[in-house]
Amino acid sequence: MGSIRFDKVNKMFGATSAGVKVLDDINLEIADKEFVAIVGPSGCGKTTCLRIVAGFEQPTSGSVNVNAMPVRGPGPDRAVVFQHFALFPWKTVRQNIDLGLRNKNLMKEQRDALIADALHLMNLDSHADAFPHQLSGGMQQRVAIARAYVLDPEVLLMDEPFGALDAQTRVVMQEELVRLARVNPRTVLFITHSVEEAVYLADRVAVMTRRPGRIKEMIDVKTVRNAENWNQFQRIEDVMDQESFIHLRTHIWKSLREEKPENQR
Amino acid sequence: MSGRRATIGWATLAALVTLWFALTTWTGMVSTGRFPSPADFWFSLVQIVTRGYAGGQLFTHALHSLVLVAVGFVVAIATGVPLGLWMGWSRRAEATINPVFLIIRPIPPLAWIPLAILWLGLGDAAKVMVIWFAAFVPSVINSFSGVRAIERPIIEAARMLGTPRWRFVIEILAPAAAPMIFTGLRLSLQAAWTTLVAAELVGALVGLGLVLNMAQQDIYPGMVLVGMLAVGALGFVTTWLLGRVERRTLAWNTAAARAA
Amino acid sequence: MIDQPLKLREQIALGLVGLTLFLGLWTLLSVSGLVSRQFLPAPSEVIARFVQLLTTPFAGATLPQHLASSLQRYLFGMLLAAFVGIPLGLLMGWFRLLDDIVSPIFEGLRFIAPIAWVPFAALWFGTGIGGPVMIIFAGAFPPCLINAYRGARFVDPHLIEASQMLGTGHLRTIVEVLLPAAVPSIVAGLRVAAGLGWQSLVGAELIVAAAGVGFMMVQAQANVSTPTVMAGMIAIGIAGMLIDVLLRHGEALIRRRRGLEA
Repeated sequence: MGSIRFDKVNKMFGATSAGVKVLDDINLEIADKEFVAIVGPSGCGKTTCLRIVAGFEQPTSGSVNVNAMPVRGPGPDRAVVFQHFALFPWKTVRQNIDLGLRNKNLMKEQRDALIADALHLMNLDSHADAFPHQLSGGMQQRVAIARAYVLDPEVLLMDEPFGALDAQTRVVMQEELVRLARVNPRTVLFITHSVEEAVYLADRVAVMTRRPGRIKEMIDVKTVRNAENWNQFQRIEDVMDQESFIHLRTHIWKSLREEKPENQR
Repeated sequence: MSGRRATIGWATLAALVTLWFALTTWTGMVSTGRFPSPADFWFSLVQIVTRGYAGGQLFTHALHSLVLVAVGFVVAIATGVPLGLWMGWSRRAEATINPVFLIIRPIPPLAWIPLAILWLGLGDAAKVMVIWFAAFVPSVINSFSGVRAIERPIIEAARMLGTPRWRFVIEILAPAAAPMIFTGLRLSLQAAWTTLVAAELVGALVGLGLVLNMAQQDIYPGMVLVGMLAVGALGFVTTWLLGRVERRTLAWNTAAARAA
Repeated sequence: MIDQPLKLREQIALGLVGLTLFLGLWTLLSVSGLVSRQFLPAPSEVIARFVQLLTTPFAGATLPQHLASSLQRYLFGMLLAAFVGIPLGLLMGWFRLLDDIVSPIFEGLRFIAPIAWVPFAALWFGTGIGGPVMIIFAGAFPPCLINAYRGARFVDPHLIEASQMLGTGHLRTIVEVLLPAAVPSIVAGLRVAAGLGWQSLVGAELIVAAAGVGFMMVQAQANVSTPTVMAGMIAIGIAGMLIDVLLRHGEALIRRRRGLEA
């Protein structure tokens, strides 16, 4: 269904002679409804990976398939949640969520019902007719997530979605996302700088090398999460207190640290 | 305007009017052949409003000028904004049209007046043509810039949502570029008025420019002042109207800017 | 939907297509007689006339001479606008009272198109140099003033605080803090002023001049010499473009020195 497959993907920016190689032989398989996070140093190409799946960039060589079909341009089957929200400032919350549904040519009653559900799901009921600038960053990102979710996409692509939020809001959103993923699971590719965020949210974490980016290692978090039953905890700080969590986090931290240039380690 | 600023404004105005009286009527330091005294001004105003000057009353001249500006302006933005939007989103269109545009652009609109008169005579057609051209250029340029200034994530989000082309233009492209489009409209309006006055100064049968021209030839400073203030007043009113439309249309933007 | 940038080859090719279509259509309309040759001379005729005017006088002088005449007035008008507008703008940005006094007057006068000053210019200066200079001033003064004002008014408050802490007096603050800080804005304003000033010059010369390119064009129009009119337009266009290019480079240079641009 919503599986993603990177096959020998290379990506080069700029002319072939003077270009910059950003991705080097990426091979990655993400199963349907699996939540995979990619962490890596700045410029390692992790966002580029997401953008290729989204259809905003083409690989220079190799292929990316979603559902065993090659990616051909952006579309609502691979919904994107952007770091800086990318809401349309001249549309209300409701209208922002509605656009994707109208593009699918759904009838008004159906759209209204779907929007009502999405608003409720993301706790936006009382803000349906507000404009983005009237909302806080966290609420704007909820709208962006609602806009994506309402399309019932097979794949959800999240590009550092909480990066532009303050620390407290970020934590709240992380907990929300976990709740959402349990209630409404789907394939997620999640890009982040934050190791804690990745370990808290994902089933597997991919660690990338610095540019040109390669996948250095894949860390299986799901097994540990299930074994240690992290799901019993409601609050993120309780999960982060677990030894198993700290162990994983430190492991990934060290792996990332090796990617820094010699003089910065 | 703050209370203090308003007070100073009125005080300055009063001071200037007093100065006006002083320099012209009371001391005669400025000869009335050069600049009208308040009495001269009033006399001219009464004349043109009631009996008329240069072939018509003030209302007739003003209305005629206003209509020409309005027609030229509307046609200019109706042609310029779509062209600018198109050149903004289609690199092919930009590459093809740009060189021609670059050649024509440096020629000041007023420089088209002699050519327009050659082609279309001294009537309204020539004036509308030059006004159209003057107002056309800023609209194209600013609409173009408006499209290019759209943040990439907005466009990508629209594409991700599977937006078809026509809906994209109407619901995404135009609103996103709207702030800059309106900047272009303001410049277009300014250009339209300047060109109208200039064109009427060069040659016209009716209009505020003609009033100015005749008054200058008749050495009638009072009437010159009337003409200038009439031009200024109409310019102010039309700009204000455009501002109202802009505020209405961009309500989401001005509020956002204030919130930012 | 917004296309990717084109390769240079494609850009040039399409540009040539556009130019060819334009010139082709023009030539076709003129040569075929669809539009009277008298009113739409072929591009070749216009170029020929342009070259001819470089040495043959028309309306009293050759094209370069007319252009020199125009540029002279332009320079006077621009210098006057800059030397009055920029200091005044800086002072208004610093002394609130001055701002309160001048701004309303300025805002009121702004709606009168510069060109509307021509009759007074004619009354006061006849066809002398004063007339066009005054019109150019009317056009170029507002951007000079506004940009200097904005540059001074919106200086980083921390810089002002630092200079106050150092005990800097008014005049020195204006000259050594406000002026340098406002330079990028002032230069941007000069670019706009240059364009507006050039337009005002053309307008003024169409109406109240005895020399200059605008005057030449009006004479040509009266004599129904369309190629001359068009040649004049080309000359004006080229001159205006060169002035803008020069100023744009100057602006970029200054911005680079300030680290505002890479």
